[in-house]
Amino acid sequence: MIQLNGLTKRYGEKLVVDDLTFTVRPGLVTGFLGPNGAGKSTTMRMVLGLDLPTAGKATINGRHHHELPRPLRVIGSMLESQAVHPRRTAYKHLLYLAQTNDLPASRVDAVLDLVGLSDVAGRQAGGFSLGMSQRLGIAAALLGDPPVLMLDEPVNGLDPEGVRWVRTLIRGLAAEGRTVLVSSHLMSEMAMTADRLVVIGRGRLIAEGDLGEFTETGAAVVVRTPEAAAFARRLELAGAHVQAGEAGELLVTGLSMPDVGRLACAESVPLYELAARRVSLEEAFMDLTRDAVEYGAAR
Amino acid sequence: MIETALLRAEWTKFASIRATMVLSLAAVAVSGAFGWLFGNAGATEYAELTAQERLDFQPLDMSMRGVFIAQLLIAALGVLITSSEYGSGTMRASLAAVGARGRLLAAKAGLTVLTALPVSVAAIWLMYTIGQVTLAANGVPYVMPGDPAALRMLLLGPVVLALLALFGMALGFLLRTTASAVNTATAFLLVPILASPSPAPVRDFIQTFWPNTTAFQALSGTSALPPVVAYGLFIAFVAVLVVAAFVRFKQRDV
Repeated sequence: MIQLNGLTKRYGEKLVVDDLTFTVRPGLVTGFLGPNGAGKSTTMRMVLGLDLPTAGKATINGRHHHELPRPLRVIGSMLESQAVHPRRTAYKHLLYLAQTNDLPASRVDAVLDLVGLSDVAGRQAGGFSLGMSQRLGIAAALLGDPPVLMLDEPVNGLDPEGVRWVRTLIRGLAAEGRTVLVSSHLMSEMAMTADRLVVIGRGRLIAEGDLGEFTETGAAVVVRTPEAAAFARRLELAGAHVQAGEAGELLVTGLSMPDVGRLACAESVPLYELAARRVSLEEAFMDLTRDAVEYGAAR
Repeated sequence: MIETALLRAEWTKFASIRATMVLSLAAVAVSGAFGWLFGNAGATEYAELTAQERLDFQPLDMSMRGVFIAQLLIAALGVLITSSEYGSGTMRASLAAVGARGRLLAAKAGLTVLTALPVSVAAIWLMYTIGQVTLAANGVPYVMPGDPAALRMLLLGPVVLALLALFGMALGFLLRTTASAVNTATAFLLVPILASPSPAPVRDFIQTFWPNTTAFQALSGTSALPPVVAYGLFIAFVAVLVVAAFVRFKQRDV
């Protein structure tokens, strides 16, 4: 379990993480989403005690990172896969990390095997492709067989086969009851991996909830009728929220499709179309973070 | 408290990178070479001295002048133990694995001394041996290891150099890049030599109180200060820097 309580980070004038409070629960994959520059990596660095919070705190299973005597056995992390000395072999990189936590060298062989790097274990990490570095980063995270995992953009640079491998791995780790926090700026990727989502923008919490809730929020009932204006007023009286759609149709929220249909029948309003509009997670994400994009293209 | 598990990990890091190993060997090789060079220079100088001047000839000091170069390499070794982690980004991985920052710094300090000390012993002993053998081969007076001055150099010299490695390590933590930390260490350690053309009061002050010269002068028995004060100043200086490194390391984002 990872708990953030009022976590705040300020660099000079700039508030990078602004009063973040949320809990990452065990047994689930929690997607940590936000546009580039939203503060995801800074937040993760604060959980690991690498960046010191300006205010608030982050705890792992109830303790600060610096209070953990053998941190790798509690939380495995991958922040930047390139954080390996280019002249050090993959094996030695993992070996020294294992030694810091009194883990046997057999763990190094085990994780190398797991991520499929056994054959290149003796090669210098500087010569690794992005995909291999990513796998090495994941191997390091799994070294201590930790109950908590925190991975920053783990599928970056992986080929489709690698992406699927990471997805399966992450889901498997959560299924074993571990706490898994995975950051991404790609909603579509999270849609296939995460059970829960935490969305931040400009360092602030924008939304948090189960995956399904995100697609529900943007959903609406699409109504096409020649008496649009009058029916819209009637719908609003019934407690619905009505927006004008693109081709003169009404987008109704706050009232279910059967209720809209019954109301139209009762009012004898002719309907040309009555349909459910589903929202992809991608659209939901874009809607949520529209105002929080750090460097957006002109719209 | 330095933990053996962390010390072992630090050793793995040290031994798995060529730069640190090469630098260690270079420090020893360069020391040997300077022992030979200054041994020969001493022999040449001795040949040109008058009988009166020959009484003041200091064979030990002559052959150990290369220490001023060896100290730079040993300090750089200390720098590299820290700065290579910042340079490659492994400081984050290391800290995420170790947790409390003080534990990591203590382990690094431990490894710095444990690697720099044997390297310094090899460097000083080789420099001494080659230097004295070269003098002897040229028929010039030399100093046997049993001599109190030689013994002092052979036993305490490596300790002084190892402490300079700790000085380098502290600079690595404070400045975080290899280039700036090595440059700072080098400039700082060479100040006494660079200061020799300056006005007498400045020069005398620097050559009496500058941390590395106080230690070197105490080693060669030429210090104007009592040995306890001379070594004490030097040790206090290194200790202050290590404490400063610790404080900065605790306060700063990695």
